[in-house]
Amino acid sequence: MEFYNELLKQLILWQYQINSYISTTIRSIDDENSIYGSLLVIAIAFLYGVVHAAGPGHGKALVSFYFINDKQQSYKNAFKIGYMISAIHATSALIITFGIYFIVQKMFRQNFNDVTTLAMTISSILIITVGFYLLYSAIKDRKDKEKAFTNKANKSQLAIAFSAGIIPCPGVMTIVLFCIMLKHFVLGIIAAIAMSIGMGLTISLAGILTVLFRKKATNMIESNGFYFEIFGASLIIILGLFLLVVNLKIN
Amino acid sequence: MKIFLLVSLYFLSLLAHPHTFIEIYPTIEVKNNKTTNIHFKWKMDEMTSSMLIMEFDANGNGKIDKEENTYIYFNYFIRLGDYNFYTDIKINDKIQKSTRPKNFKATIENFKICYSFDIKENYNIKDLKIDFGDTDFFIAPILKKEFTKTTGATAKITELDNDFYFGYRLELTKGN
Repeated sequence: MEFYNELLKQLILWQYQINSYISTTIRSIDDENSIYGSLLVIAIAFLYGVVHAAGPGHGKALVSFYFINDKQQSYKNAFKIGYMISAIHATSALIITFGIYFIVQKMFRQNFNDVTTLAMTISSILIITVGFYLLYSAIKDRKDKEKAFTNKANKSQLAIAFSAGIIPCPGVMTIVLFCIMLKHFVLGIIAAIAMSIGMGLTISLAGILTVLFRKKATNMIESNGFYFEIFGASLIIILGLFLLVVNLKIN
Repeated sequence: MKIFLLVSLYFLSLLAHPHTFIEIYPTIEVKNNKTTNIHFKWKMDEMTSSMLIMEFDANGNGKIDKEENTYIYFNYFIRLGDYNFYTDIKINDKIQKSTRPKNFKATIENFKICYSFDIKENYNIKDLKIDFGDTDFFIAPILKKEFTKTTGATAKITELDNDFYFGYRLELTKGN
């Protein structure tokens, strides 16, 4: 706990510094230093993504719970889901930022809040659905061993990535909007991509650590495999319910 | 299994992470060991500010006019009362819920949105603790010794370990 609190504090202070540094760098870009300045912004955006996603949120818990259930125990799958989440996360942020900015322009913040609330509600319902799907699969699998497993795994991976990634990342949105306001449209998009690559790395790590945990505890899990699947699916349902309740309570 | 469940539940409670950074500049006047005025100035990070300026500076003249200030006060600032303005003023460890900020003023300084306001209460500094933080962890307050000014007392700043979010505590001791 002590270590986690210290890490949390450090992550905040790093983000505070990077946030300040990135805005100063974007503002300082002019005709003379455009290439160097832009490359620097892209590099900082990547680092910001790594640090930003290391803090709470961004679907790391969901990915971990999912991989409790993953029979393939594949690091590749962990990377795949991590990057699917971050890609959807950044894409939704880009679409919403550009959409709201060019269609509405004013009242950005209020529109952003409305869209985020809606996205969080959809995301929570999707997470609960995925949880129930995994629960159903675990029970069905017990009766019908390993049938069409791969196809089902792909479907649930996409569902997990979509349900966690649909919430636009406010961190990406603020960088993109800041670039748009300073007329650096292309840089805004590239910075969002760089940030999502950084976030994908961190989110993937959550999945990789769970896969590693599963591999280490293979004997125990294999003998209690069914219960672990029920446990993982239940955690996903609880996470979805929790997000839904908190979201409805806040709004 | 129990530990794993506890760890999982711990992660469930961590929903957000800071997207907005607010530097807090307190100026506190103390007379006879009692506060006479607590003035706060918040400076928001430049990226959040750019988003807010787009809405706040309705006429685009680069400053916050009187009508715009009123709009910000009613539509944004006063709503932060739900979060106790990210500032728990504690007397003998009891949060003073009735405290209301006065003289609110929003400005734009170096591309940053700033909020200034006063807490005009006479608190005994011996019993006073001021905690800064956001339980939802959407904003992160940043408080440094060099941001703080006091007259009639000395400020002490400590980091607050709130388990799920990070904050600061400001306390006052006698003398300058």
